[in-house]
Amino acid sequence: MPKPSRACNLSVLLLSCLAPFALVSSAMAAAKPAAAPRVPGADQVKSLTLANGMKVIVWTDRDIPNVALYNWVRVGSRNEVPGITGLAHFFEHMMFNGTSKRAPGEFDRLLEAQGGSNNAYTSDDVTVYQNWIPRSALDLTFDLESDRLANLSFDPKVIESERGVVYSERRLSVEDDNAGFLYEQVQSNAFVAHTYQIPTIGWPSDIQGWTLEDLQKFFKTNYAPNNCTLILVGDVSAEEAFALAKKYLEPIPRQEPPPPVRTQEPEQLGEKRVNIERPAQTPLLYYAYKSPAANDARGPAINLLLSILVDGNASRLNRLLVEEKKLAIEVGGHFAEGFDPGLTWLMLTLPQGAKVNEVEQALDAALDEVVAKGVSEAELSRAKNLYAAGFWKQLATINGKAALLGAHEVFEGDYRKLFDSPAAYDKVTVAEVQQAAALVLAKNQRTVGVLQAPLTVPEPAPAATAPAATEAKP
Amino acid sequence: MKRGARSFPILAFSLCAFLMGGALAAQTPAGNAAAVGVKVPAHQRFVLPNGLTIILVPRKDVPMIAFSGFVRGGVLADPPAKPGVASLVAGLLDRGAGKRNAFEFADAVEGVGGSFNAAAGAEAISIGGQFLARDRALMIELVSDALLRPRLDPQELISYRDREIEFIKSAKDSDPSQIVGIYGRAALFGTHPYGRPQGGSERSLASINHADVLDYHSQYFGADRATLVFAGDIDPKWMKQALTKAFGGWAKARSKAPALVPAPRVTGRRVVLIDAPGSVQTYFWLGNVGVDRNYSGRPALDLMNTIYGGRFTSILNTELRIKSGLSYGATSRFTRGSVPGEFAIRSFVKTENTGKALDLTLETLERLKHDPLAPDMLESSRAYVLGQFPLQLETAAHWASTLADLEFYGLGKDYIEGYGPALAQVDLAEAAAVTADAFPRPTDLVFVLIGDAAKIREMAAKYGPVTEMQLSKPDFAPTVP
Repeated sequence: MPKPSRACNLSVLLLSCLAPFALVSSAMAAAKPAAAPRVPGADQVKSLTLANGMKVIVWTDRDIPNVALYNWVRVGSRNEVPGITGLAHFFEHMMFNGTSKRAPGEFDRLLEAQGGSNNAYTSDDVTVYQNWIPRSALDLTFDLESDRLANLSFDPKVIESERGVVYSERRLSVEDDNAGFLYEQVQSNAFVAHTYQIPTIGWPSDIQGWTLEDLQKFFKTNYAPNNCTLILVGDVSAEEAFALAKKYLEPIPRQEPPPPVRTQEPEQLGEKRVNIERPAQTPLLYYAYKSPAANDARGPAINLLLSILVDGNASRLNRLLVEEKKLAIEVGGHFAEGFDPGLTWLMLTLPQGAKVNEVEQALDAALDEVVAKGVSEAELSRAKNLYAAGFWKQLATINGKAALLGAHEVFEGDYRKLFDSPAAYDKVTVAEVQQAAALVLAKNQRTVGVLQAPLTVPEPAPAATAPAATEAKP
Repeated sequence: MKRGARSFPILAFSLCAFLMGGALAAQTPAGNAAAVGVKVPAHQRFVLPNGLTIILVPRKDVPMIAFSGFVRGGVLADPPAKPGVASLVAGLLDRGAGKRNAFEFADAVEGVGGSFNAAAGAEAISIGGQFLARDRALMIELVSDALLRPRLDPQELISYRDREIEFIKSAKDSDPSQIVGIYGRAALFGTHPYGRPQGGSERSLASINHADVLDYHSQYFGADRATLVFAGDIDPKWMKQALTKAFGGWAKARSKAPALVPAPRVTGRRVVLIDAPGSVQTYFWLGNVGVDRNYSGRPALDLMNTIYGGRFTSILNTELRIKSGLSYGATSRFTRGSVPGEFAIRSFVKTENTGKALDLTLETLERLKHDPLAPDMLESSRAYVLGQFPLQLETAAHWASTLADLEFYGLGKDYIEGYGPALAQVDLAEAAAVTADAFPRPTDLVFVLIGDAAKIREMAAKYGPVTEMQLSKPDFAPTVP
């Protein structure tokens, strides 16, 4: 459940009164985008596809004596069906809980004893296993990764215990969390058919209901080596990594790849609304618009548009709604890039007592303005510079490099696109940003979510209740 | 959805972790011969005639420059009845400075893809950020404007302050696990500066006026109270000249923040219960006063906290998550400031399991204090802390904050370079000594519980005298000085 990791505030020199000339010109002068510099390292990345179809990608970087080793598995809540919602994520937990060779807990115990740490995450689209290790733990890490891919086994007692862990995670991130609760409700209402409607953490009844057989079937279907991509970045040579991959991973037989997700979301023909009443001091207003898939050529323009709208204190919506009109205390947003067409989010936290409809009107007016008039060169330049700085910050760590390599390989089909990424962003024009705005900010393509404290309803007159009751669903 | 193991605060070594988030320092991890070789990169340190300390760390990797710095003061310099003044001053530094108003400043920073952050911690206001290397002149102009010439505009103060108040309400709606530590420190330290909410409370923020902010800035801001570190793609000669010019005219501060005295450890138990009606989990925090930044047993302490609550297979996480499935995670950490900060255990469980989880937590602490440590556990912890250590010192930004941190506490580079060798030396006797000394006895703890009081009130009383308050109350403590 990718709860917005970024809830940045921001906004822009919008229209009218606020943009005196001096300001605009100085902003433009300062804001020339860096001429997309060449990204070093393309020649240091090597890849190999093992005989069983698993691809291994290695980027040697000897700054520190450590390695980031990630296994990207192409399975997420997108691959689930009613009854087993949340299973991809639960499965991610179970991948640490024992094989036919090693008892539950051994994975972590052995890895930590050699200086490594690990984590994993599940999204709508993928499950990613991450290890951060000293280079001396390479052999062990390959051994552990291959063991759980080849020999995973399930202990019924551990399944029950881990079920409790995941439910606790759900209570933390959804049930005791207004932001997480609304996010889940909006996402699940935005789709009528596609499995992006399924919350990655799973519905409570499914968390309580998964069986051993569900897990076994899920493993068999989705954890084929040919459905995985292994990424190594750090103090390791390609030759070393390939040799270890051949030794430990290549013997795992290729399997039938998981069936494709067949269902496509039918066209949405009007705005949908979700109103949630829960105890809340600060109301929430979320918009989620139907949007293209990750590999769409318009992706950079959409991301730059969002950056113009919500990234930083000078972004448009922050400037307008937070700083000027004080209608929101925080504005965030992101383009959820997945295998299939998904959602572009705008998320606002409102001050206590806010009139939500007034905020909506102001937000809609600002978004209409973007669609109608586009954005300025200065705004686009600012967004490109923020993108470039973010890109370089990611490239500064082995962790960031592994994340970028994996995302480009898995979602765009080629890790080498990472190295073209700055140029792809650099060439986006204001006209393309305006087109992106028209594409992803269409009102009839959105789901609006509002969460606020229950409204005080005046005591209904007895006569008025009768007709309402008769209209209730049978 | 994450597996969650990563929430382990293994190293929060950076200044940011201490000065900003409020976690005063912490452990330091990592395992293997690897870390024994960690070297502080070559750098220049010089002090301007006005007392400003500047450190330059050339380090070519990506075309960026990271900066990190501090101005001593922070919550320590807040008027005791008005915590949050330093935090508002920090927040206003970039909301209008020099020739730029708030928007112009933000636009200048973001227009070039830069960042500038400032926040108040217990003992300082810290700043940090990164710019593309080509924008070095603008970066220096903006940082110097923010520190020397903030406008501290009264209208900006009101809108920023009011929004901060709303953010606290929002956190109560969506993130009880993130704010339990604020209640915890308030309950443990009381009126001691470490007990004050670093960002203020809803009530204290509302009481802060423009004069408070101006007064803080005029008293506590000054070159002799500050250190700035720049690391990354820099030309030290050019930087030194430019920085000397930009900061040479900064006056000295008028006042020093009050001296910190160590808070006493708590004996016995007491409970603060924060009522969140309808909450389906209880978020708990158990703590006592721990040790300070200069604690001589630091390597052994880091190894022992790793074993107890600092990694996925820790004793705490094993009991509360791995074996019982009660919680998504349980951690412990030491926050080490100029004087002892807190040792705290944190976790959360379904409301109905609150008592069971608390009992289990106390049992783990009992075991830690009394059971002999297995030698292979010490070896595993050593390998882990050493192996993870280099990952915390990978980038220019890491080094900028680390060198600022060393400067703040007056620690030498041996704090980094000697760490691996010192870890290698820790033996069972030393480990036992810090366990006895630094970890509290299970009978001496302050408990903070955020949860549905109607369901856990009776159970809570089992652990000590209970003071109760509402989550919606605009303070972080039942009674406020």
